[in-house]
Amino acid sequence: MATMALNTLRIAYIERPRIESPMAERARVISELDDIDELVRLHQARIRRFVTYSTGDPDLAETITQDTLLRAFNGRESFRGDCSLSTWLTGIAINVTRDHLRSGRYKFWKQLKTSAVDVSEMASYLPSEAVSPERRVLAKERVKELYAVLEDLSYNQRTVFLMKFSEEMSVDEISEILGMAVNTVRTHLHRALKAVRSRMGAKI
Amino acid sequence: MTPGSQNHLSEEALDDVLIGLGSPESDAHLARCPECRAQVETFRGDVQLFNAASMAWSRSRMPGLRQVHHAVRRTRIAFASWAAVAAALAIMAFAIWHHRAVPAANQTATVQSQPVDSEAQIAQDNQLLQAVNAAISPDDVSPIDEYKILESPHRHTKTGPHTRKK
Repeated sequence: MATMALNTLRIAYIERPRIESPMAERARVISELDDIDELVRLHQARIRRFVTYSTGDPDLAETITQDTLLRAFNGRESFRGDCSLSTWLTGIAINVTRDHLRSGRYKFWKQLKTSAVDVSEMASYLPSEAVSPERRVLAKERVKELYAVLEDLSYNQRTVFLMKFSEEMSVDEISEILGMAVNTVRTHLHRALKAVRSRMGAKI
Repeated sequence: MTPGSQNHLSEEALDDVLIGLGSPESDAHLARCPECRAQVETFRGDVQLFNAASMAWSRSRMPGLRQVHHAVRRTRIAFASWAAVAAALAIMAFAIWHHRAVPAANQTATVQSQPVDSEAQIAQDNQLLQAVNAAISPDDVSPIDEYKILESPHRHTKTGPHTRKK
């Protein structure tokens, strides 16, 4: 029951009304890219979520999200339309994240201050329609446990896991965006799933 | 523990199903094995809970629209500033280059013009210099003589255009 409710919820988050013709689809995407307000409204939350839980640093994620949207807006002419806009934006977010993580400035500030994800706060945002009140406490615990597992994964394993299960990308798309061999992506996924199973194993 | 056997899916086969790369045998096994199916559904349920909570959390931090607008504006201002600085530097560089290049060109022109002077030009110049010399020579009538301030009978001859005739 809860799963069905969640499925409905997730569809509401991810899917937009289907447009019949590919030209109309492309026109919509271009208009999204041309309108910074629309770009932010439709994609900011998703990018912020992805970057927050892949880096584990909400403050850094805020900066990266802004940079990603800005880079997408400024480089909108380079969007060829051979992948979805979400996939393209995720690719930009990953590149921006890499740039930040490599930069000396990030390393310097990282030593001084680390902002961590408050997973209890995050779990408290679980939409009320997602689970029944009786199961809510249990659901929050599951969310916390899953995040705890993700936190212990390597950056690559966590990123690949999120791309697959949160961003709902195919293995091929992940492979292309990360510049990894398909088998490497699969290996990361298997290791991540093994970790999830071993930590939450009795319950899965 | 292999797909299609009487037991359950192996961990690897289960992972492949979760990844979306399950084989037809795995799908067939899941269709008839409630335990394996429960594992898959539990995992998917957990992931969906995580996605729903994390997305709701992310949406709650939405004042970023204004920040992105500011960032866009900052980028444009920064671009305009850099363009202005670049233009100013280009103008300065051109001015310095021009300042250095023009005297050098003049010098070259002077050097090149010297051999061009003809004999006639030299003669004309000499004539002019002689005329100037005559005009300022001591043979000129001094103002003292001209206005007969002194009772001197000394007279001078005139050669220039302002020569007084007696």
